[in-house]
Amino acid sequence: MNEIDCAKVRDCLPDFASGRIENHRSVTIESHLLSCEDCQSELELIQILRAASPVVPVLLADQIENAVFSSRRPWNRSPWGLSAAALLALAVGVGLSRDRPEVIQDVVYDFGVDPEQGELWLTEDSFLAGDLWIEGLSNETLMKLLEELEGEGAE
Amino acid sequence: MRDSLRGARKISDAELVEQACSGDDRAFGTLVRRHHASAYRVALSITRRDDIAQDVVQDAFIKAFRALGGFRGDSSFRTWMMTVTANEARATLRKRGRWNESSIEVVGPLETSAPDPAEQAVVGQESARARAMLDTLPEKQRLAISARIDEGLSFREIASLIGSSEGAARVNYFHGIRRLRELME
Repeated sequence: MNEIDCAKVRDCLPDFASGRIENHRSVTIESHLLSCEDCQSELELIQILRAASPVVPVLLADQIENAVFSSRRPWNRSPWGLSAAALLALAVGVGLSRDRPEVIQDVVYDFGVDPEQGELWLTEDSFLAGDLWIEGLSNETLMKLLEELEGEGAE
Repeated sequence: MRDSLRGARKISDAELVEQACSGDDRAFGTLVRRHHASAYRVALSITRRDDIAQDVVQDAFIKAFRALGGFRGDSSFRTWMMTVTANEARATLRKRGRWNESSIEVVGPLETSAPDPAEQAVVGQESARARAMLDTLPEKQRLAISARIDEGLSFREIASLIGSSEGAARVNYFHGIRRLRELME
């Protein structure tokens, strides 16, 4: 009988040690511990381990938040990058639909992107590919790119 | 559930996940603050290095943030986050080629709560020794022990964490505890 009790008690010892247990069960466990040296010994070990629970670095949460939000995809961080990417993709798409590969090449090769590699097209999750290289461009370069695109579109 | 029992309105993890998926950064920030400690301890349990554990937790949250839309809520966010962290920790160790490293390099700063300094010192020494012994156990055993004792996870949740059945999780925990008791004697 005591063996069965021990198995049940040991299941609960971590919760008992941390106070995560209902009162009536707590009383039952306390009662068992009074007469069971083996379970007492296991509880002591658990308490020792709890006392040495690793302390979490104080600034870790801040570091994580900073890392998470600074690693977000560029189109989330920069509406300008998103609109530029969308406009670029749209304009290039329009160019393609008109069967004008020379226009695409002008735009693409100026910025080192090869449409054959799929860098300008929609990805599976509907986000625009090619945003990374746009994100790295200066506003001046982006304006120039947009002017070129607008010029091409007006033709 | 626990939140609602307290009476005071505390937004649940599920609600925070929903809000974060809708683009609310503060909601995800709250999830970070609620669960980074558990994630850190999981990472530390696997890597046994504070610096690596911090990097692992950071990367795990970044991945979780990006994959949040795919979180189906089959488990609690906390358990899911701990599992993501455990996987990230193992991947990091594989990358670093440290799978078989047996040296004990890390035991975090001790959390001592005993009021009497003399007693505190003894408890601290014993605790440090126990933690050092814990680090010598196989990964699944020490992870099961840490998750059960530090985090209060159920064996079902531990099973998800270590990638085993509930029975295997229980066996890992009790084998580990038995081995620790032998080592501490």
